[in-house]
Amino acid sequence: MTEDGVPIPYMQRTRDYYLALGYSPYRWAHFTEVPFTPLRMPLARARVALITTAAPYQPEAGDQGPGAPYNAAAKFYQVYSVSSASLPDLRISHVGYDRRHTSAKDINTYFPLARLKEAVAAGRIGALGPRVHGAPTNRSQRVTIDTDAPELLRRCQEDAVDAVVLVPS
Amino acid sequence: MCHQTVSLVARHLEAHGISTVIMGCARDIVEHCGVARFLFSDFPLGNSAGRPFDVESQAHTLELALRVLESAPAPRTTMQSPLRWSTDAAWKDDYLDLTKLTPESLAERRKEFEVVRTIARGKREGV
Repeated sequence: MTEDGVPIPYMQRTRDYYLALGYSPYRWAHFTEVPFTPLRMPLARARVALITTAAPYQPEAGDQGPGAPYNAAAKFYQVYSVSSASLPDLRISHVGYDRRHTSAKDINTYFPLARLKEAVAAGRIGALGPRVHGAPTNRSQRVTIDTDAPELLRRCQEDAVDAVVLVPS
Repeated sequence: MCHQTVSLVARHLEAHGISTVIMGCARDIVEHCGVARFLFSDFPLGNSAGRPFDVESQAHTLELALRVLESAPAPRTTMQSPLRWSTDAAWKDDYLDLTKLTPESLAERRKEFEVVRTIARGKREGV
């Protein structure tokens, strides 16, 4: 029984689970040094981007609706970008969210673009970048570090954003 | 893997002059990786940005993340949202709960995992 107020030990649970399934233990990414860039201006003047791990809805790729079973066919393997002007249809059937306690019926629980727009309208944030960027979720840390992260940086620089809000699903 | 992916990306952005904040639900994965700023919600995976159909909770969660973004004094700053998913913590026991799985269901899950892996590999390689 998890004690009230104690977060779920995801690394341990995942390790135990895949060991029980017969796989070798996964080595989670760990670094002692952590890079840090202070925000250079007041948030009310900053341009902010959103990075998500949600996937664009693909009509041909099977069930991606709320509560759909894990759907590997809906995964994506390259960084993508969509305009932040509208609200894109992004789903999370391709990842291991908590299907028992979450329906994923409300996109705003994993993709806060509508709330970010309200923050811009309220003057809390200067502006949003022109695009939202999608980060492929990958068991290979090497691919994320060597390929996807540099590509996301390039796109953020192209969009001249000062800060990024990242939201895993 | 989502939490690890965004942690690795956030680190890369920070190293190249862009400030970041992660909004997430898996505290151990993000902190083990090591990131600049993290707003932790003790919610089931899939609710990093607040409760479903609860605009107030979502706006509050974003506002906390923005405050962390503008005011974190140093890297590895984690703030935990005061919002609670439920007064009962029982939901936390269900995620990948091995005690409820028989050897047969474990074998079944392994088979399913291999199928998923094959689909993913095919898609990755454009087959």
